Amino acid sequence: MGHFSFYLSTLVVYFGIDLLSAWSLNLQYGYAGVINFAFIVFQAAGAYVAGAVVLGPDTGPNSYEHYILGARLPFPLPLLAGALAGAVLSAVIGLFAVRRIRRDYQAAVMLIVSLILLQVVGNDVHIFNGQNGITGIPRPLQTALGLSLPDYQWVYALWVLAICVVLYVVVERLSRSSWGRSLRAIRDQEDAAAALGLNGTLLRLEVFIVGGAIAGLSGALLVEFIGAWSPGAWGYAETFVIFTALLVGGVGNNRGMLLGTLIVPIIVLEAPSFLPTIGYPGLIDAIEWMIVGLAWMGFLLVRPRGLLPERRFRAPRPAAGVGARHGLAGWVARTFTLGRPELAPVAPVAPAIGVVAPGRASNGEATAPVSPAVPPAGARSGTVGSEEQ
Amino acid sequence: MRLRPHRRSPSAGIISLVGVAALCVAVFGSFTAASAVRSTNAKGPLNEAIVIAYTGPVSFEGLAADGGVYPGVSEINAAGGINGHKVNIVPVDTKGDPADAVPLVDKLIATTSNLIGASGIGTASAPTEVPILNSAGVTMMTFAGETAFNRSHYKYLWRLLPPDDANGKAMDLYAKSKGYKRVATVFGTTTGAQGDLPGVLSGLKGTGEKLVAKITLTPNQPSYRAEVEKLIAANPQVIFTEQNATTAVTFFSELKSLGHLIQAIGTNALVTSSWENAVRKAMGRSTFKRVLTVLSTSAPHKTPANAAYARALATVKSKVGSPWTQWEGNSHSQAAYDGVIVQALAMTAAHSVTPKVYNTHIMAVTEPGAGKTVVYTYAAGVRALKAGKKIQYYGAGGPIVFDKYHNSFGNQEAMKISTHDNTIPIATIPEKEIQALG
Amino acid sequence: MNVFVQTLGFGVVSASIIAVGAMGFTIQFGLTNVLNLSFGGVMTVSAFVAYLTEQSGINIWLCLVLGGVAGAVLTIFLGRTVFKVYARRGTRLFEMVMVTLALGLVIEYAVDAVSRDQIYSLSFPEGASYHIGAATLTESQLIIVGIGIAVFVGLERLLHMTRLGKALRAMAVDPGLARSCGIPTNRIVNATWLISGFLCGVAGVIYVLNALSVSYTTGVIFLPSIIAAAILGGVGSPRGAVLAALMLGLVTQLVAAAGFSAYSSIAAFGVLVVVLLSRPSGVLSAAARKVELTL
Repeated sequence: MGHFSFYLSTLVVYFGIDLLSAWSLNLQYGYAGVINFAFIVFQAAGAYVAGAVVLGPDTGPNSYEHYILGARLPFPLPLLAGALAGAVLSAVIGLFAVRRIRRDYQAAVMLIVSLILLQVVGNDVHIFNGQNGITGIPRPLQTALGLSLPDYQWVYALWVLAICVVLYVVVERLSRSSWGRSLRAIRDQEDAAAALGLNGTLLRLEVFIVGGAIAGLSGALLVEFIGAWSPGAWGYAETFVIFTALLVGGVGNNRGMLLGTLIVPIIVLEAPSFLPTIGYPGLIDAIEWMIVGLAWMGFLLVRPRGLLPERRFRAPRPAAGVGARHGLAGWVARTFTLGRPELAPVAPVAPAIGVVAPGRASNGEATAPVSPAVPPAGARSGTVGSEEQ
Repeated sequence: MRLRPHRRSPSAGIISLVGVAALCVAVFGSFTAASAVRSTNAKGPLNEAIVIAYTGPVSFEGLAADGGVYPGVSEINAAGGINGHKVNIVPVDTKGDPADAVPLVDKLIATTSNLIGASGIGTASAPTEVPILNSAGVTMMTFAGETAFNRSHYKYLWRLLPPDDANGKAMDLYAKSKGYKRVATVFGTTTGAQGDLPGVLSGLKGTGEKLVAKITLTPNQPSYRAEVEKLIAANPQVIFTEQNATTAVTFFSELKSLGHLIQAIGTNALVTSSWENAVRKAMGRSTFKRVLTVLSTSAPHKTPANAAYARALATVKSKVGSPWTQWEGNSHSQAAYDGVIVQALAMTAAHSVTPKVYNTHIMAVTEPGAGKTVVYTYAAGVRALKAGKKIQYYGAGGPIVFDKYHNSFGNQEAMKISTHDNTIPIATIPEKEIQALG
Repeated sequence: MNVFVQTLGFGVVSASIIAVGAMGFTIQFGLTNVLNLSFGGVMTVSAFVAYLTEQSGINIWLCLVLGGVAGAVLTIFLGRTVFKVYARRGTRLFEMVMVTLALGLVIEYAVDAVSRDQIYSLSFPEGASYHIGAATLTESQLIIVGIGIAVFVGLERLLHMTRLGKALRAMAVDPGLARSCGIPTNRIVNATWLISGFLCGVAGVIYVLNALSVSYTTGVIFLPSIIAAAILGGVGSPRGAVLAALMLGLVTQLVAAAGFSAYSSIAAFGVLVVVLLSRPSGVLSAAARKVELTL
């Protein structure tokens, strides 16, 4: 049993890290509609940087690997460095990727970013040691705490869960703030939102950077736990796992992420290792990925809003003021001085345009159409489902 | 449209999350106290794990490990098992990804009873796995080439192959022995290639050969014409090379089409059927054998240990990668086979199957010494130990001599590869010369 | 100078491979508005079909045709079943991208499972070398360039000189209007799946004709260049795709020739970024009006 507890502590750590990833992606996709197919890149950036700033310079005992940013920062600075790396990379990529272009283009561009960066980091050994990656990253405070490895793992698991609790408060407040409502407004009706003075590109860039910082933090937590990071850990397919968790849990619902994360990365991806090996080595791995892809497609078809669908909120104040206070800085000031915004369930009446986010018009469920220009789903057999951007 | 009957407090999520966390600690924290000691109660069969990548870019390592561990375990079981226990094999696919490897290794430790040891521990994720297995007290027999393990202090880690840089230096020495003066390196940016290349480059300083081109190939490109042109322009006499099969096929095809297929010396990572078949087809059968020489650790002569390994391999031919004959001359497979036999002999000598106990007997069954009985098979070793003799196991990969860092080096050999994927030794590079190169 | 000319030669070869795929991608995307990320998976399947036909000793031209047909059949199958089902359910454009990416993943790993995670090499003879100015190209490389040119000319003629082409162009501009003018949109969509699928398949085959090996990742490795070329060239424009492919092919080879081979693939991406930053209108032109899935 003792060893099972050891395994379980690992799963708890992974669960926490995947949960952070899911919340980060949920902010970007669920609230702002940014399809970040490069998500794993930002996690990787956090992991590499957090690893490098702990390892020390790549000379002397570390001369067998080459990497940039070598330093010896004490705990918990590497975590902050990881979050910062995620944010900075998001800002750079966001500058061109979150502009007001068609969202399907945006998604494709993100995928290309993910594939190309993987190639570059894997092939240039001078950035983060190429395919071998960086290794030998010590676990934070392990010697200082003086615990046995199993005990230490539980302490680390608690540490990750504590961060999750803090981040949960942050993302929930963000999503309920006027900033969060603005995001939903530009997601569902960018033109109407723009008419109210919301700058869609700026909002998307903001959420992209916030999400990137959380992704970077999750990568930093992961690398400090596993002690190594290499291109094998951030193939483009890894982003899928988090997206699938999002779809299963319910896009736009942070609590749904708990469920989605438990089901997809933990149960679906860990369970096969308990099965006896069948066929040639690698067959189970291939089947696992096919299951992830099929789960994604299935949920989009059958239950596009996930197990716990997004809840809808109505803004407490009329629409007029939204534009003036959509900025992130404004949100921070308000949230911590005035307390959290009022929330109320939405009644099935026609919403005030642009401010209320009436969920997704994407599926057959009884959500009110966002725009009169959208034809009802399935109205014509030939041409259905449209989007104005 | 549904209406929510109640307004849930937004803090409910936080509370439930805290609750989950608290529950985890309360329930499972209590078990940790008991988890410090791994006990192998030795009822029922013993389990030997193979922790290695079977998928991903370094999947060749998994097949090579299988090619050694399966015959080794089969030989042990045929000789009656270890101290009367049969041995099972538990393969663990790390996918060459450290993030995937950690939970898999933790799960292996958590759910495997009677875990006597771990084989493989391949190059890509070894630095992640070794600390975990070491702290869990699992004896590891590895062939990971990382230079990082050259001076490791992990009590339970034993390395049976020289590090990658020694392989690189042996390539230099072989080229020098053939009288080549102008050399070029052509390495892909794959995991293993990164280990050998530093060895090649540092060795060149000692051998006096001139490096005329250092070419790096980005794997899996549709064409390497620019790099091929660069290589031809530098006019080397021989190239040192390691790249994956896809890359090698494209590169050598283009080199050939321009009529400049010069002699190539490859690392030990090229000794796999899938690489050989792919590149043989690209170069042409006879050209492949003429042009390519690989450097690898291997037993210099046909020994009884080789014969025992070959026999054991034949008994498990359906369980190892096809064609099964390719593993007989594969240094990685030989090392994996020797690792399993050494563990079993140490267990026999220690009268215990618990890693904590038998781990300290490993050097006692491998070290040469006056008055020791040299054994080549598991069965012979057990007989000698039962008769109260001290033994030295002489492995399929040659003698095993661990230094204080638990590293066993050994001679390297230049080899040709036959059309049936068998290796044909053509020259030996002694361990001493490699070490002398610095 | 000679190195430069030689590099140009290789650039044209790379460009031809990208161009064939990008032409298929761009007409598919232009007409149906499905940004189909499973395109790479279909290419891999066609490449494996070519491998199997090559193994049974069938000549290279038949390999090309069979690979193309495999691509066409698979594409129309997916178009009429998977994509149509989602479109009927009211899936929006950007959610459709997610469907295609998931589908791509399923195809990729299905091929992985069937191909037993192995790399297979082909032995098409590269043929004699020809000197064109200062550049040296092999026979198979010349064939690749020839196929690229033939596909381009054929597609241009199809689009501008046939009734089908006229209908295709009309539908790409305004599907609603095209329908009310009596154009059988359903059949046109089918034709688009078939043509683009065929080109996708041919692209997969000529890719392995050049690289001489195939594995389950073949299509995914190649996909970024194809998407970049299609977006860069303007959606729905084969001419634009060919020009963009030429640009990408040349940039990639020049960067490699300059000794930065690790960065050669980033060149494709860099060009795309520059376009997104400098002339988003080019990308937006199709998005400025209302865009619908046309299936």
